[in-house]
Amino acid sequence: MPDLTSLYTAILNGDAKAATAITKEALAENADPLEMVNRYMVPAMSEVGKRFECEEYFVPELLLAARAMKGSLELLRPLLTERGSEPTGRVVIGTVKGDLHDIGKNLVASLLEGGGFEVIDLGADVGPERFVAAVREKNANFVCLSALLTVTMPSMRKTIEALRAANLRDRVRVLVGGAPVTQQWADEIGADGFAPNASAAVTLARRLAAA
Amino acid sequence: MRLKLISCEIFYREIRAAVARSPHAVDVEFLPKGLHDIGAEGMRGSLQAALDRVDGTRYDAVLYGYGLCGNGLAGLAARSLPVVVPRGHDCITLFLGGKERYADYFQNHPGVYFKTTGWIERGQDLQQLHQPSIQSITGMNRSYEELAAKYGEDNARYLYEELVNCRRNYQQLTFIEMGVEPDDRFERQTQEEAGRRGWKFEKVQGDLSLIQRLVDGQWDEREFLVVPPGWRVVARYDEGIIAAEPPLGAEPHR
Repeated sequence: MPDLTSLYTAILNGDAKAATAITKEALAENADPLEMVNRYMVPAMSEVGKRFECEEYFVPELLLAARAMKGSLELLRPLLTERGSEPTGRVVIGTVKGDLHDIGKNLVASLLEGGGFEVIDLGADVGPERFVAAVREKNANFVCLSALLTVTMPSMRKTIEALRAANLRDRVRVLVGGAPVTQQWADEIGADGFAPNASAAVTLARRLAAA
Repeated sequence: MRLKLISCEIFYREIRAAVARSPHAVDVEFLPKGLHDIGAEGMRGSLQAALDRVDGTRYDAVLYGYGLCGNGLAGLAARSLPVVVPRGHDCITLFLGGKERYADYFQNHPGVYFKTTGWIERGQDLQQLHQPSIQSITGMNRSYEELAAKYGEDNARYLYEELVNCRRNYQQLTFIEMGVEPDDRFERQTQEEAGRRGWKFEKVQGDLSLIQRLVDGQWDEREFLVVPPGWRVVARYDEGIIAAEPPLGAEPHR
């Protein structure tokens, strides 16, 4: 296994071009894809998360690092799948019905992908029935719901009720987030978790996936 | 009654017009537009600070010209005077005259961005806010050139699309005519902006009556929350939108 500290650095610096180039080169030299992910890429994203928590990195840096990670992962995923390596989890994510704000949701989706999750992004203004259909079709084990407006927060409750009505509630962990969302709200509507920002959302999802 | 009104400046013309016709003496303090952009905590701090500046011996009640505004109002604590807050998620409720009409319009018009006189002429320069806004912290308010200088061309294109172009899901501008406009200049400006963005334009008639009832002292509990002295505002996300909670240990009240 070659030393791929440069891959770690490229992701940390959000340099997508370099990350892709190094990944291609490493694969040509028969580097082990799983080891690349575990030894360099996931630690890079963890460091990105840490830097975000201590306000050394901000949202643009998060987005760029996640994009670099995603570029490399796209090259590695077919090889990982071939070897029967499963993603950390399968996430269905979307901004709830009535709400068109998707910047935060996109950021969480990118970071989850960076964290090794397979992400099915349903977009914005997503009704409960579409979440239900996607969970069933993709056999997802996480549902992430986003809302920016207090007026659309009740759609989160409706989505959880729809999952329950479809007998899918026990099969998935439901995480909620968005500017007006709180832990108290998550508890009230029976969600499994809440995170105050995108980086914390990934930490939470990884913890729940490992539990 | 003698009333103190603390209001977002987005209602500047509407509040002035309503106060002129109120049977009560209403003193008004306007706060900068866009407080919700500094986050719920910062907004609540500004609203509470304005309330704490009110001389409790001079008034009978304090009114708020705000909605729940992304939880910016949640946690606001009444001091020696009752505090009156309209039940609404945001300012559109006050422009449309009630939460039912807003809910109805909202459900049937996804992707609408609203304009009124206050939207257009007030708070152009949010530098007036003392705290950094969410937009400046996240980089959402940066120009392509600024992003390119910091992150390079390729990254800047990506960041611009992901972070700055936040209205990409919107498709309509709705001008709410409140009857306080001098002429059609604000409507025209809105129409022009819709044209530039390639969005649909619509004009709807606003309804000043909720704002009028606020300053007239007609506080029906279905439309207004009256927070008793010492109690605080909490968000409910149901029909009532907000409720009042007593200090710890006392009986709850809706």
